[in-house]
Amino acid sequence: MTMRTRLSLIIIACLFACAGIVSATPEEDKKAFQKFYMQKFPGIALEDFANGVYSIDQDAREQWEAMNDFPPYEDDLEIGEELFNTPFSNGKNYASCFENGGINIRQNYPRFDTERNTVITLELAINECRTSNGEDPLPYKKGDLARISAYMASTSEGSLINIIIPNKGDGLTAYQAGKQYYYSKRGQLNFSCSNCHIQNVGRKARSETLSPSLGHPTHFPVYRMKWASLGTMHRRFDICNKQVGAQPLAAQSDAYKNLEYFLTYMSNGLPVNGPASRK
Amino acid sequence: MNTKTLLFVLLLSFASFATISQSATQSHAKIAIQQANELWQQSIAAGHAWNTIQPLVAQAKQALANKDFETAIALANEASAQSKQALIQAEFEKNNWINNLPK
Repeated sequence: MTMRTRLSLIIIACLFACAGIVSATPEEDKKAFQKFYMQKFPGIALEDFANGVYSIDQDAREQWEAMNDFPPYEDDLEIGEELFNTPFSNGKNYASCFENGGINIRQNYPRFDTERNTVITLELAINECRTSNGEDPLPYKKGDLARISAYMASTSEGSLINIIIPNKGDGLTAYQAGKQYYYSKRGQLNFSCSNCHIQNVGRKARSETLSPSLGHPTHFPVYRMKWASLGTMHRRFDICNKQVGAQPLAAQSDAYKNLEYFLTYMSNGLPVNGPASRK
Repeated sequence: MNTKTLLFVLLLSFASFATISQSATQSHAKIAIQQANELWQQSIAAGHAWNTIQPLVAQAKQALANKDFETAIALANEASAQSKQALIQAEFEKNNWINNLPK
């Protein structure tokens, strides 16, 4: 075998390997994703990753657990429940828009709507419920929408995330777009989501431990001390983008919805434990 | 031509030259800002805009409004340079992103 033939074979093998990585099924992606964290942090149970950074940082976890004796989001949760149960001006309410009256459904969101051919996040569904009943939409990142979403998440506590990618429509395309967004470097600092949350997970960025992406979506909306309020996942995406010098996108933009779809699929099988508090 | 007339003609020439050079600088600043804006929009469309570009374009417009044309051009050129980098990043990441998958 000549050198030239060997070189050609190596190149062809590399191309096949790359094609394999890109065309991996979502289930294969999820297995590789979860396996990475399980190997990186042996001894931590899969479901414990639902506690985000506190699954891998014992010192911070002790402080967090002490703080959770009086969760800072408790008032917001009560307001969220009240808002959820308050009828619209037409007499209907949020429960009328969702399956199972909106109770214990968080684990199924975001879902792919095959008829509309787009990803529907829980926050989008809440606002669409409002507008279809003659109410104004709420701002997506914080405030009452985050409170209602937090209450709905709380009714799913312990239910396992179960994101489905339907064969019909462009569900797989949306998933792949979210996957590409997650792994693409962006911003002036040239960082991808994975550069912090996979390649450098567990390391420090200044005084903060970089959290694993496995389990990120289980506990949103979160109450961040920095915000002194509840915020949705798209509010967090916005901050992540800014931190790497990228121009953030609008909440509920296709790119953010697809990213949430991919990320939540990666956490399939983990229990919902939102809302939660973070530094 | 007496000395007074000569001085007057010279003064008039200088004034005309200053006006021409100022308007040229102003038009240069406008062109630089327009170019910066177009490149910024391209980086947004590519999904890779940097959050440093918009403030530079806004500052360039403010400098133009303040008739500080040199600053306006410098800021607009910086915004254009960053947008070009963002577009290179967008193009590169079309294939490079798979290198960030967990290993």
